[in-house]
Amino acid sequence: MTDWLRQSFHRLTSTFRRAEMDHELEAELAAHLDLAIEENLRRGMSAEEARRQALIRFGGTEQAKQQHREARGLPVLDIFLQDLRYAVRQLLKSPGFTAAAVLTLALGIAVNATMFSLVSAFLLRRPPGRDPEGVAVVSSVNPAPAFHADASLVSAPNYLAWRDANHVFADMAAADEYRTVSLTAQGHPEALRSAAVSLNYFTVLGVSPQFGRTFEAGEDQPGRENVVILSWELWERRFGSDASLIGRTIRLNRANYVVIGVMPASYRLLGFTPQVWTPLVLSAADQTAAARTDRSLHLFARLKPGITLEQARAEFAALARRAEEEFPATEKGWGAAVRLLPDFLIYDFGIRSALAVMMTTVGFVLMIACANVAGLLLARAAGRRKELAIRIALGAGRLRIILQLLSEGLLLALLGGSAGLLLAYWGINFVRASMTFNEAISAVPLSLDWNVLLFALAVSLACAVLCGLAPALNASRTDINANLKDESRAASPSRSLSRLRRVMVTGEIALALFLLLGTGLLFRGIFLVEHQNLGFRADHLLTASVTLDNARYQDASQKTLLVRDLLARLQHLPSAQAVAVASELPASGPGSVTFRIKGQPELPADLRLSALDAVVSPDYFQAASIPLLRGRTFTETDDATAPRVVVVNQEFVDRHLKDQEALGKQIRLDVNGATPEWSEIVGVVANVKTYSEETRDDPEVYEPFLQRPLSSFSLMIRATSDPSSLASALRGAVAQVDSELPLAGVMSMPALIERQKGGDPFFVRVLGSFALLALILAAIGIYGLIAYSVGQRTHEIGIRMAMGARHPDVLRMLVWEGMKMTAVGAAVGLALALPLPKLFDALFYGLHLREPWLYLLMPMAIMVVAMLATYIPARRATRIDPAVALHQQ
Amino acid sequence: MAESKLDLLQGTLDLMVLRTLAALGSLHGYGIARRIEQVSGDKVLLNQGTIYASLVRLQQRGWIAAEWGTSSNNRKAKFYSITKTGRKQLSENAANWQRLSDVMGRVLAMPEEGGTK
Repeated sequence: MTDWLRQSFHRLTSTFRRAEMDHELEAELAAHLDLAIEENLRRGMSAEEARRQALIRFGGTEQAKQQHREARGLPVLDIFLQDLRYAVRQLLKSPGFTAAAVLTLALGIAVNATMFSLVSAFLLRRPPGRDPEGVAVVSSVNPAPAFHADASLVSAPNYLAWRDANHVFADMAAADEYRTVSLTAQGHPEALRSAAVSLNYFTVLGVSPQFGRTFEAGEDQPGRENVVILSWELWERRFGSDASLIGRTIRLNRANYVVIGVMPASYRLLGFTPQVWTPLVLSAADQTAAARTDRSLHLFARLKPGITLEQARAEFAALARRAEEEFPATEKGWGAAVRLLPDFLIYDFGIRSALAVMMTTVGFVLMIACANVAGLLLARAAGRRKELAIRIALGAGRLRIILQLLSEGLLLALLGGSAGLLLAYWGINFVRASMTFNEAISAVPLSLDWNVLLFALAVSLACAVLCGLAPALNASRTDINANLKDESRAASPSRSLSRLRRVMVTGEIALALFLLLGTGLLFRGIFLVEHQNLGFRADHLLTASVTLDNARYQDASQKTLLVRDLLARLQHLPSAQAVAVASELPASGPGSVTFRIKGQPELPADLRLSALDAVVSPDYFQAASIPLLRGRTFTETDDATAPRVVVVNQEFVDRHLKDQEALGKQIRLDVNGATPEWSEIVGVVANVKTYSEETRDDPEVYEPFLQRPLSSFSLMIRATSDPSSLASALRGAVAQVDSELPLAGVMSMPALIERQKGGDPFFVRVLGSFALLALILAAIGIYGLIAYSVGQRTHEIGIRMAMGARHPDVLRMLVWEGMKMTAVGAAVGLALALPLPKLFDALFYGLHLREPWLYLLMPMAIMVVAMLATYIPARRATRIDPAVALHQQ
Repeated sequence: MAESKLDLLQGTLDLMVLRTLAALGSLHGYGIARRIEQVSGDKVLLNQGTIYASLVRLQQRGWIAAEWGTSSNNRKAKFYSITKTGRKQLSENAANWQRLSDVMGRVLAMPEEGGTK
């Protein structure tokens, strides 16, 4: 074994010490001959005879040298290097061809590498912590159709029951990830995203703090829970990376918390990256039946050694069934899902389908690029038939010819890959700069990492094979006789060669049309969403969100008091027209509620009617400009002491009340933690879109804030001037009411809508540019093919014209040839794209894509582009003087 | 029928070179080639040039070592000598070769079946 290794090493090194070793061998052989001649002379031969005999006994010196080289080196590598040198010479000889091919491949590889950097950052990076594949996440499965219904949160009673009853997890932690706390430092309050986590949370995930410690036993008991762990980002930004902060107190929610630790900067879990962690305190109230509808926990668990995910799933399916049997009122239909942490994070982040679409698109772009380069190589191979025929006639094996053409493809692909990586470097920077639409996305570092490099290399090698194989196989079938005799005069390019190129161009057109239709559909979908009537006026609205802490705002009257005070002050701001508070801003995806209509039979829990539910102050409809259709909106007198009232939207009436008169009907909402009461419908308002990024209208119920005060709500001010100019006045007014109350997300409504849309517009624009690139590449492909085939047929065209064919006839013939290919390609692309709307419906929640006219427009567009690409070279061909054409070789 | 010269089997030349160096110590390429010719009684068909491929192969395996030196008549030449690993290989390969040659001998000595008829 060591012998073998040693020999391989020597063989490899001698490949690169060729000159030196040849020189030494030369000297050695010379010495050998001298010794032989000397001995022959001593035997009495003449000088001439001595030399002749010595040479005869030696055998051929060239053979000896060749044997020596083969024995000492790696013949395969030698041949490969030789091929590569030859390829370099060939490419240098035609710089135009080389530049076109390298640039085409570079573009294809660059878009692939850039998009793959997203895959690498979001899908391939392992979550932090010890053995993240050993961590499972348990979710509830909501029986009602909802976004990510199978990754719903879990209630505290279920957490406690499941933690104690399961046999598959070594330990199970819970986290309430979506809390907001106010941090007051240097006199100004700031709202922070916080997570309340069970004490074992960090141990289950297997992470340790950068400084300090994690939670200790007993710190989840009331009175001892005022300890906090900070994220690296917060520690750096608000506390200037002060290491002495550990052990000191900071003010959170008007209370003193001791900082016990700082987590490392690397501790990020995609969507779950709060700025502070506090202990999750579960009291007796969290174990009551009422707490079962409050589903707010993520459960993280460490699998016991030897337990598979399947076993854990079976166990939790059984546990969920048991809960259903014991508490049918709240648990009916609800299940449990178990996923591994990395899968869960990616699923929860919901980026997988977007990335799949992106990667498919860039994959197609690359295939088109490869087809173009393969076409170029084929055209060249046709021009080199004679050269290859001579090489074969001189004894070059077919394999050798194939390898040599492949190494040309390899060289092109590697050059393209290097140039592509350079472009990708810019591309990645561009994407990073553009992907800032939410914190979680911008927190994920995009970079040209090893994954991307390896991917680019793999893609380049694939390109080498894709581009090089067809011409190589084709060339190796060269018929020596035909080609050596053939003087290329009057000969059309070999039939198989042009058939192959036609197939490739047809394929390119099919792919390009498919991409155009796909992105066209998405473009149209996003356009419709961007330009839809949301049902309210978003302009001139300033918004902010407020979360009241329990320390100061414990009961309903305190909350009501604050809101009344706040609204009164805001009303007096100079350019404020109307001000309101609401549980959710319009078109921001309010929560939903189940309810009963008086006079209709009671339905089981999983079949109850449901509607969106917003809690709003009286001026909400005026501030948002939502038209009142019938009845009235809320007034100041609809307060806690008055009879309960609600306002519903038109969709509610259409869907749930059919033809009946809505006004005066009584409904009962199943609101968390409140005793159900009958409320009267006093008004009907126009529909507002459920989400600004979707086209849905859902039934919606509005409740008056004064009858159901909340601790988390948004502020809304309709201004007569630019709403952003009101921001500081808003902050001032809030500070006057409560100096420790933080305002979060102060921004105009249009800005908020833009943010809600997240990456969609960016994503579609990027896709669109890829489709355009594909179209351009396909057009270049058609142009190249027609130009080449016209060039090859110059002689034939000359004959035709000499025989009396007129310009239009020739032009028609050539254009017809191009259009035939385009039509076939377009038909294939169209057929492939037919199921796209269905596919996108499944991938992108809420986009409704039914645009038959796109299926007419896009093929026409591609026909026009193809027609131009055909027409230009065809027209040039008809301008040729027949006399010149006939003399052309 | 005139006795034709023997073609060398793959690997046999390497073994001959090793044996020659083991017997004679340090020797240059020409010396090795001549020695093999002499010992075989000129029965081996050997282009002297082929010996150099064998020498470089053995050298890369570390079985022989090479050094430039001066021949008895003051000529510069590359001298080869067997190494310790080379001696070990030689004894193993020689034993193998011996066994193979015995077996071949016995197989070829089988009486022909047709002769009894």
